[in-house]
Amino acid sequence: MIHSHDPRMNRLGLPDAPATAAAKGALDQFGTYEAFHQKKEGAPFVYVGPVHAPEADVAFLFAKEQYSRRFACTGLWVVPTAAITVTDYVGDQEWAYDSLPLLTNQQAAATATADPRFGDDTAAEEAAYAAGEEDYDIFHLKKRGKAHQHVGKVRANSPAQALQVAKAVFGDQRPVVNVWAARSADFLRSDDEDRDIWTTTPDKKYRDAISYKVQDRIERFKAETGTSQAD
Amino acid sequence: MYGSASTHDLPTTALTGLENEDPILLAEFEARINRGEKIEPGDWMPALYRKQLTRMIEQHAHSEIIGSLPEGTWITRAPGFRRKMAQMAKVQDEVGHAQLLYSAAETLGKTREEMLTDLINGKSKYSNVFNYPTPTWADSNVISWLIDAGAIVNQLANAKGSYGPYCRALDRICAEEAFHLKYGHDAVVHLATGTPIQRKMMQEALNRWWPAIMTFFGPSDKMSVHTEILMRWKVKMASNDECRNQFLDMYVPKIWEIGLTLPDANLRKNEETGQWEFTEPDWEDFKRVINGDGPCNAERIAVRRAAEENGAWVRRALLTPKTQYVRPLA
Repeated sequence: MIHSHDPRMNRLGLPDAPATAAAKGALDQFGTYEAFHQKKEGAPFVYVGPVHAPEADVAFLFAKEQYSRRFACTGLWVVPTAAITVTDYVGDQEWAYDSLPLLTNQQAAATATADPRFGDDTAAEEAAYAAGEEDYDIFHLKKRGKAHQHVGKVRANSPAQALQVAKAVFGDQRPVVNVWAARSADFLRSDDEDRDIWTTTPDKKYRDAISYKVQDRIERFKAETGTSQAD
Repeated sequence: MYGSASTHDLPTTALTGLENEDPILLAEFEARINRGEKIEPGDWMPALYRKQLTRMIEQHAHSEIIGSLPEGTWITRAPGFRRKMAQMAKVQDEVGHAQLLYSAAETLGKTREEMLTDLINGKSKYSNVFNYPTPTWADSNVISWLIDAGAIVNQLANAKGSYGPYCRALDRICAEEAFHLKYGHDAVVHLATGTPIQRKMMQEALNRWWPAIMTFFGPSDKMSVHTEILMRWKVKMASNDECRNQFLDMYVPKIWEIGLTLPDANLRKNEETGQWEFTEPDWEDFKRVINGDGPCNAERIAVRRAAEENGAWVRRALLTPKTQYVRPLA
């Protein structure tokens, strides 16, 4: 039996030379979700990374633990990785929208009529939703190595069209190295009403570097023992 | 913490195969790196770049998850409630780092299932220092302070590397390390400036760990023939010797100032060259341990494997049948 310095391990009664473990099957670690956080109220949501999770609620919990445990956070979104449509990556000085396929005249006309404004409840908007258009969230990567940032929403009838609409609506933003588009309905988002979940309780100060005042103790020790700094 | 990310086990055949790469794509790839742009998952990259980065990030992830075990050993017996909480928070951070790093490696094409399978079958390596035990609370403190400190030296260098997802993960990890380093330093200073028994316990732990710490950055560059191309591609950002020297520069004075000694009579800084001199670590012993014959190799793998196996039914029960695997994006 394995003998450990950790009594919890000893209670497991682990054999000395266990047989080879079977290879993990596909999806043993679930599918993935991509997480976006908001650093402070009013700031845009920014990509933080993926989590592996069996479903959206669990993905949200894991993402909250993973990405908001140590950093200020006022909001969190998760969306299945598969729900995101990704453009080509281009160079740091280029514009990712240039890599989109050129539109036919008919498509261009359809894109031009898509109204990017939201919440104005116009008859045109009502009609567009009735005709099957949906909202898409658009994210830009401004520089390679940085993180994708939410730039806004567009309305479209497909991810490909959402990117085309985004090209028209957010066309003034440069450089754009890469664009993500995902159906707004596919996100699970934190609720404003629940914002107290982001408050870190003050009794967790032991997790902050600033609560360790080690220098005082070192100085006292040196003074008591006569150790000089020159050592 | 924890990632030594040294490429000590590169196969000697690793640096062949470039002649099979498309010369135009290779030139564009190198030009991008020379311009200081990061490589992102969707980009073309040489097979060798993908392979070495996967190996390095995966090993780093394994080091986080295995490295949490020797400190985790002391959670239940850490002196006082506050230290138990802090030790637990630190261990949780390390496991979180593993998650970040597995995802970064996954963007290169190796699934998390494959990485974990390779870990629990002993096929993948992790930082060799975690094959040593923490027989006392002071040993755990030495890891918290000095192994973390060594890892930070490495990680700060690697955070300037060329692969976007690894850089993003390391930026996050480095930000969390500030607490670890202070926490570890505080714990070591507490014992080193305490009662004679506490001092003795800390000195003995330091003596036990020092040889392993000196191997943490990997063998001397003199012994490694692979670093040139990895440096050019910004996979490896600083040589093993540079990292080791920087670590000694920063931490030996901090060790000495609290009245502790180091078990190497040859350890001193050559003021003319700026380089530390020391007794060459026993690399034969290092090889023996990393290949499986260390005091804790069997335990580390067995514990990790038991955790995977004991959790398998929960994961099976939670799996949604219509899930399809898609590689994480970034």
